[in-house]
Amino acid sequence: MAQTDVLSEINGSIWKILVKEGDSISEDETLVVVESMKMEIPVLAPVSGMVGKILVAEGQPVAEGEAIAYINH
Amino acid sequence: MTFEKMLEELERMKTKALGMGGPEKVARRKAENNLNARERLDLLLDAGSFVESGMFATSHRPEMRDRTPGDAKLAGFGNIEGRSVAVVANDFTVLGASSSVVNGKKIRHMREVASKSGMPLIFLGESAGARMPDRMGAEGRAILAQDPYEYRRLRESPWVSALLGACYGSSTWYACLSDFVVMRRGAIMAVASGRVTSMAIRQEIDSEELGGWKMHSEVSGLVDAVVDTDEEALAMVRKWLCYLPSHQNEAPPVHPVPAGSEGRGGRILDLMPENTSKVYDVRKIVETIVDLGSMMELKPRFGRSICTALARIDGGSVGIVASNPLFKGGAIDVDACNKVIAFLVLCDSFNIPLVFLVDQPGFLVGVDGERRAAPGHIMNWMNALALVTVPKLSVIMRKSYGQAYLNMGGGRNSDEVICWPTADLGFMAPQVGANVLFGVKEEEDPEKYHKLVDELSRDTSGWRLASLYEAQDVIDPRDTRDVLTQLLRVHRKRMGSGVGKHLLANWPTTF
Repeated sequence: MAQTDVLSEINGSIWKILVKEGDSISEDETLVVVESMKMEIPVLAPVSGMVGKILVAEGQPVAEGEAIAYINH
Repeated sequence: MTFEKMLEELERMKTKALGMGGPEKVARRKAENNLNARERLDLLLDAGSFVESGMFATSHRPEMRDRTPGDAKLAGFGNIEGRSVAVVANDFTVLGASSSVVNGKKIRHMREVASKSGMPLIFLGESAGARMPDRMGAEGRAILAQDPYEYRRLRESPWVSALLGACYGSSTWYACLSDFVVMRRGAIMAVASGRVTSMAIRQEIDSEELGGWKMHSEVSGLVDAVVDTDEEALAMVRKWLCYLPSHQNEAPPVHPVPAGSEGRGGRILDLMPENTSKVYDVRKIVETIVDLGSMMELKPRFGRSICTALARIDGGSVGIVASNPLFKGGAIDVDACNKVIAFLVLCDSFNIPLVFLVDQPGFLVGVDGERRAAPGHIMNWMNALALVTVPKLSVIMRKSYGQAYLNMGGGRNSDEVICWPTADLGFMAPQVGANVLFGVKEEEDPEKYHKLVDELSRDTSGWRLASLYEAQDVIDPRDTRDVLTQLLRVHRKRMGSGVGKHLLANWPTTF
């Protein structure tokens, strides 16, 4: 089984986490919403699989390239 | 029969050439489920249209002549949808399709004919690199790849590359000079193979990481489209060429407008959220504006905050440059800059009018961007845009903030600027501006903060831009297709039969 990191593509703060660890998700499904530049920007699943671990909490700042979660697939 | 022996000799020579690298190698390829070069040509070209050039070419070295049928790179002419093309198909069964003195002459001939006669040139890539001993020593330097013509690109006609296997040497170099590159998953494109690179840098290298589809479609941006099979790659080449003229001195072909293309504008009001903090996928909006089913996105995994796509409106080709807020909120990063510049070069070189659809919060600022020379890329874009001579239409859908307003065709950088009533022409988001420009935070001084936000929001509407005649109209978003159709007709370059000046024809498209 492979593991793929889900990275934030932008600086901002975690506004909403829409999945839980263990959830099955499909490629391009929204996992987390980052607030940046007064917009709600979705972080999409890069691959289909299962949410392995969520590494952030709502309200927490996040940097571009930072891992938000990883997916087992 | 007269001439019997001569005709038998011709048949024998043909059979030898058509056998490529020999039955064993051809069978091994088949067993590996890989198409050979001749099968690829059959799929690429209209049935029965291939006229081969150089079937009887071989290595110039006497000891290699017998085992180099076609000298490893098949070449010739054929038709795609009835239009002439020139093609070079690498035959990996002959010495790994390595570059040699004689097959270099074949490529040069295809280039010259494609340029002089005005037809696209297609490379079907799969090659090991320079052939030894042709390339060895001072003699190798003197006879192979020493000609500056080899890598000179003036875009007299479109070039296309399909990466269909291990691509080193010429397949890589010509892909990087091409206007469209499609890659099959499993193919590799790199300066040198993983094995050679591993030895050179004394480090284990994974070929996929070095030059696989994911790297090239997401990181380097050297690949425009990724597919799973050779068949899909060749179909993609045919499809891309349908948007292009045969050469720079004609307008692109006009196609019939598919039934159902009209009357879809109402969907725009469902696709675009009224709340400006919500994002959406602009590609769905583009699909409702262009002729039904005509959108072909390029580099969809690279620089994603801007979508670049070929499409048709009213049957004619257009190049779409659309902010995509779904990614990075539509903020423009270095990858997006480079993607747009390459697209401007393509459209300007081949007479394809440009349509900008704008919803961007500005350039993505940050240390990473500056280290990657963001200001230089932003100015390359502006310089390219100012040199474009095809019609340019800009539709400001929502935000168009900061300097990037100009990059997306604002001011006189387009022939016509059209606003939707939702257009917002601020310098930056007013809430951010109150904080950044005046250092006032809502939680610390709400009264002053809201006053500043109000001031920064004043006169940022499309109405104000229209009253100053910097926007030529404010339209109902549902009418966008109709308005663009009319304006494309207005700006058709009648004096030159739809042909521009091609001031970008010799620009590089990779940076």
